[in-house]
Amino acid sequence: MNDFWLALLGMTCITFSCRYLFFSKTVPFELGPKIKRLLSYTAPSVLTAMWVPIVFLGHQQTNSDFITSPFLIAGVATVIFSLKIKNTLAVVMFGMSIFGALKVLF
Amino acid sequence: MSDRTAIAKGSFPSDFKTMNRAIIDIFPLALAVVPWGVLCGSLAINIGLTPLQAQLMSLLVFAGAAQLAALTILGAVGPLSSIYSSTFVISSRHLLYSAVFRDHVRKSSLGLRCSIAFFLTDEMFAVTCAYMEKTKSFSAVYALSSGITFYLIWNISTFAGIIAGQHIPNLEHLGLEFAIAATFIAIVMPTIKNRSTLIAIISSGLSAVFFSLFIKEYALIAATFIGMLFGYLTKDKENIDE
Repeated sequence: MNDFWLALLGMTCITFSCRYLFFSKTVPFELGPKIKRLLSYTAPSVLTAMWVPIVFLGHQQTNSDFITSPFLIAGVATVIFSLKIKNTLAVVMFGMSIFGALKVLF
Repeated sequence: MSDRTAIAKGSFPSDFKTMNRAIIDIFPLALAVVPWGVLCGSLAINIGLTPLQAQLMSLLVFAGAAQLAALTILGAVGPLSSIYSSTFVISSRHLLYSAVFRDHVRKSSLGLRCSIAFFLTDEMFAVTCAYMEKTKSFSAVYALSSGITFYLIWNISTFAGIIAGQHIPNLEHLGLEFAIAATFIAIVMPTIKNRSTLIAIISSGLSAVFFSLFIKEYALIAATFIGMLFGYLTKDKENIDE
């Protein structure tokens, strides 16, 4: 676990630098429209790359079947619900309730 | 008594109002992050970090997605380079946020700029932008108040996870990570407003599943890059951006 301190230090510097970079007075350049466009896909892509495996591969760690996996069913239900309701907290609460109910049932 | 100190600190009664507004606005988002913080805390204990190390991660790094990815890699005894590169890829979206705030923040003091940068998260960016649109001006008081509220809730829930992780075995099998999936679905779905974003999401999601089955350590980075690239290469009919 010696690597931990190096990992922590590195991560602290990397996350802060990404947040601070364009606040710096010594950074003379602006982001061009192309880079801005490329970066605008980062948030949707990275967030999707995290939730999709939880929903579609979540059954692996609970040893349940793919079709009856609470991760899959509640995940798909949350996606459908999120298309109708735009309130973040309502969507999260809805998803968690469905997931919790399925966990109790199966 | 407490009212008087708050006003004195903010120097204007209106600052106090702005603070209240910020706290109320970010609160639902901060609540949604609680299960995630609990998971981060308990997972850190589970892979063998000390409680201090686990808490320091949330105190210093303050980036849920990056922390969770790093913990997974640390748990699998993956290389440092993989931790750094996934942290960078996950955090790179903050470059865009910082570029958006740039003009509003650039003339402020170093301390203020550092503080706003430190507390800059997806959630803080979202509410601050909404407030900026409503009032037609950027408010540092608003940005800091919402950011600090979020920071406190994040660290309290990490702390709860650390305590729970020490006493309740297999906490990570309760399915707390589903809270992450639900939160991200709730954030991502409303952003699909054009074809290119849809393509970015679909390609990133498909490749995330594919890579998770084969090269787990680099799955997140690879899938993110593919999503960004495919989104970038897709022409939107409206072309608002260009």
